[in-house]
Amino acid sequence: MSYRKAFIVSNALLLGVFIWAFAKDFLAPWRPYQAKYYEMAGEVLDKQAASEKDPKKAADLKAAAYKVRHSPMEIKQIIVGDLGRFDRCVTCHVGMDEYTNPTLKNGFKENPYKSHPKVDEALVKAHPFTKFGCTGCHSGQGLATSVEAAHGWVKHWEKPMLKGVHIQGSCVKCHGNFETLKGAETAAKGKKLFNQHGCQGCHMISGFGGTTSVALDDIADKPFERIAGYNFKRVRIDGKELPDEHHDSHWNIQNWILGHLTNDPAEVTPNDPFAHLNAEPIPPSGMPDFRSELSREDADAIVAYLSGQTKEEQIPYRYHVPGPPAKDPALSGLAHGRYVFQKYGCAGCHGIDAKLGRRRINAMGPGQEEYDEKMPEAQLFANMNKGAEPTLPDLMGTYKAAELITKIENGVPAADAKKWNPKGPLPMVTMPAWKGKISKHELDDLAAWLLSIAKKDDSGF
Amino acid sequence: MPTLDLETIKKEIIDSQLWRSVFRGGVWKDTPRDRAGHIIGNVWLHLHPVKARPRALEWAYTWGMGGISFALYLLLTITGVVLMFYYRPTIGLAYRDIKDLEFAVTLGMFLRNAHRWAAQAMVVSVIAHMVRVFLTGAYKKPREFNWGIGVLLLTLTLFLSFTGYLLPWDQLAIWAVTVGTNMAGATPVLGNEGPLGALVGMRINNDVRFTLLGGTMVGENTLLRFYVMHCVAVPLVVGILLILHFWRIRKDSFSAAPYQANEEKIDVWPHLVKKEYFGAAMTTVFIMVWSILQNAPLEAIANPNVTTNPSKAPWYFVGLQELLVYFDPWIAGVVMPGLIIVGLIAIPYIDTNPKGIGYYAWKERPFANTLFMLGVVMWFALIYIGYALRGPNYAWYWPWESWYMLKAAPPPTWSVFGPTGVGKFSMFLGIPLIGAASAAWLLLPKLIQKELDGLKTMGAFLGVIALFAVGGMAMGKMGPIEGAFLLFFTGASFYFGFVLPQRHIRTLDWARYLTTMVLVISTMSVLLKMCARLAFNIKYVLTIPSISMNI
Repeated sequence: MSYRKAFIVSNALLLGVFIWAFAKDFLAPWRPYQAKYYEMAGEVLDKQAASEKDPKKAADLKAAAYKVRHSPMEIKQIIVGDLGRFDRCVTCHVGMDEYTNPTLKNGFKENPYKSHPKVDEALVKAHPFTKFGCTGCHSGQGLATSVEAAHGWVKHWEKPMLKGVHIQGSCVKCHGNFETLKGAETAAKGKKLFNQHGCQGCHMISGFGGTTSVALDDIADKPFERIAGYNFKRVRIDGKELPDEHHDSHWNIQNWILGHLTNDPAEVTPNDPFAHLNAEPIPPSGMPDFRSELSREDADAIVAYLSGQTKEEQIPYRYHVPGPPAKDPALSGLAHGRYVFQKYGCAGCHGIDAKLGRRRINAMGPGQEEYDEKMPEAQLFANMNKGAEPTLPDLMGTYKAAELITKIENGVPAADAKKWNPKGPLPMVTMPAWKGKISKHELDDLAAWLLSIAKKDDSGF
Repeated sequence: MPTLDLETIKKEIIDSQLWRSVFRGGVWKDTPRDRAGHIIGNVWLHLHPVKARPRALEWAYTWGMGGISFALYLLLTITGVVLMFYYRPTIGLAYRDIKDLEFAVTLGMFLRNAHRWAAQAMVVSVIAHMVRVFLTGAYKKPREFNWGIGVLLLTLTLFLSFTGYLLPWDQLAIWAVTVGTNMAGATPVLGNEGPLGALVGMRINNDVRFTLLGGTMVGENTLLRFYVMHCVAVPLVVGILLILHFWRIRKDSFSAAPYQANEEKIDVWPHLVKKEYFGAAMTTVFIMVWSILQNAPLEAIANPNVTTNPSKAPWYFVGLQELLVYFDPWIAGVVMPGLIIVGLIAIPYIDTNPKGIGYYAWKERPFANTLFMLGVVMWFALIYIGYALRGPNYAWYWPWESWYMLKAAPPPTWSVFGPTGVGKFSMFLGIPLIGAASAAWLLLPKLIQKELDGLKTMGAFLGVIALFAVGGMAMGKMGPIEGAFLLFFTGASFYFGFVLPQRHIRTLDWARYLTTMVLVISTMSVLLKMCARLAFNIKYVLTIPSISMNI
């Protein structure tokens, strides 16, 4: 090939490739959606014009239809300076853009064409889109203009769009009073379940709760980098393994929390109980298995509540609605003792109403075999897995009130724990010292209640 | 009616006052004078000579890599300037601006991709250019100085790429830059973690790393500093050096190849210029297609509180990062790169071999070519290991292994000479022993006057090592894999670091000989330390904690 030809060919190639690049850029993924919306909106107006009797009004409608059909194709965005959000969602969801569709209503049924549901209801009216944007409540990547990226279904966008009831977590972000709020019922239920099952015994939220495990004040912001990939890989939702991180966005914090409530946490985070990979055995997650107590709906409710525990976002103070001050119910005697048991999350280890001690891996527990070094690992683990926290009614009979109070105040040091497998890891989650945390009055009532539930055998002892 | 004659119209246009005022010279008659005038009369072309030797224009000889590197530099300048219109270097805005480029700016994604990929391509093409120049011996007298400028340009290319790496302000960026700049903190004397650093009063907030970052960690100031260096300071220096580089190419003449009988120079216009244009156009097409098909990476917004696992330097520095496994940061991050740069610049002054100038001559310069290519291969092999074989916690993951598989914690390491080492006395035993071994290695090849028989020497050496390995295995101190490692790495080090120098450079004068040997032994020390660490879990051969001196 002569260089003259090469000159021509290479220039043609340059031009061709540039046109290709430009075409790819021009045919951006949002374009067809916006075009179709204008087309559909034009059609609606045309139909109205056809059925309109008044020729002048019909002409106006026809003109309006023409105008809509010939609207400029553009990236639309809601800028919410207060919240630092730039939401381009309305580029495709044109029906939810107040400038293109001032009534915020249309008759379309499908996404992204349909208008925002419930625009007449107080919930939406109280949160005008211009002031709250889209992602303030829904999460997702407001800056993005392609389907996958905008909904946050891509790698490296850690807050994808909230699905289903989980969106109620967004109420919790600002509304301290969400428990009495219409529309946040599931989150409220989540909080109730959270406290009922004693989660706060180990997980602190807003300064209240135990320090045995991580505080959950900012759990919604937990970076995935802090969750080991091989543990995320073990999370199963509805019995199914999550798709690979690289292809999907199911690796999100909601599924991580849900995974702990709908799986055995010890299977999600098995660690290294037999020291295969480390010099010392490392116990599996100490979190109890809640599958028998929580339905999928319950678990989702807790996830919704926890989805609102965020500190990352700089939400201005005037957006916050304070909740009522925490107040103990007016109870006394045994009822108060039972309330104290629940308030401090004792149920987390000792079970609801102290009915059943929860699992404590490699502690002593009912139904364990005699330890034998030669057992296969699976059998060893099955026995270690039967280790349990004490079931209080069985024990309480052996205590006097003063002894009990001392025990609760001082807790049980981790080193005192008796291992079933002496070569296995130290059993996780020991009784913390409650001195200074539970008041004297509360302690007295708690001890009284605990003694009242002690099992009495038939002989009267 | 006048007829439409193209030739007449062309003549009318060219002879018009307007055309004449813009383009000098008369009617184009394609005479040698015209062609020369085209080069001399054009400010953009006049760095070229008027005539060049045909040899210097062959693709097979030049690979076109110098020209392609420059084409990429121009492409980077253009795309970079356009990107500057959209980018604000503050930590509050930088990441969002990149997202805007990606999602809202017309051709924004394409531009960013082109800038990113052209930068990666330039790193490769500049290295390829250096390899070509080396293999054709084109750095030899009188081109030593220009080779040195070339080495500086290579370094600056890497530095330009490195400073640009931070600008998107995502997790990839800050952790890569954190890894890269942490090595600066280990600079001997000037870094707070380097040997002797503490002695001269270096702290985390006054050492060389602090100067680079504008703080004690990667932050707002770092972003601004890197931005200014990336967009203004370094390109200016590169531009100045480029002019020097081109000027010297012309003054030192284009090709060093020996003259052939009846060789006639050919006109640069059009023979060279058309090749340059074609090369640049094809490079641009290549970068454009690449940019259309693949997007530049962008991870989550930078978060200094969340370390990525693994955190890796930009790929061209991952080789040095991999060295961190084997050496302390001051060696891996400062001494080794320093030796590479200084050693490369020194090459033309220590290579006195008059043969092999201007053509590929492996047989005539076996020592120079072998050692240089060994260095290049090692550089890329280390990059491959660091980039592809290192997973979470920087553990070794084979390509077929999933990063979702838990790996055992690395076995405990030990040191040979040091407070807790096997031979406890670093000062009394370690330094003298290692010193003596190094001195012997340094001097013996020259002191043995007679040329050794390569095969026999290698056979004897490998035999001794094999005996040693078998003994070790018999005593249960090592397995067959460790034995194989030992045989391979010591064998390679002995061949490249002892046999080859003994055979080829023992006749050099002492100054050149010693300089060469220091560079050769440094290279081999990498191989030997890799073997010590990978197969025998040796952390340091010698450690003196009181002055942070660990080898």
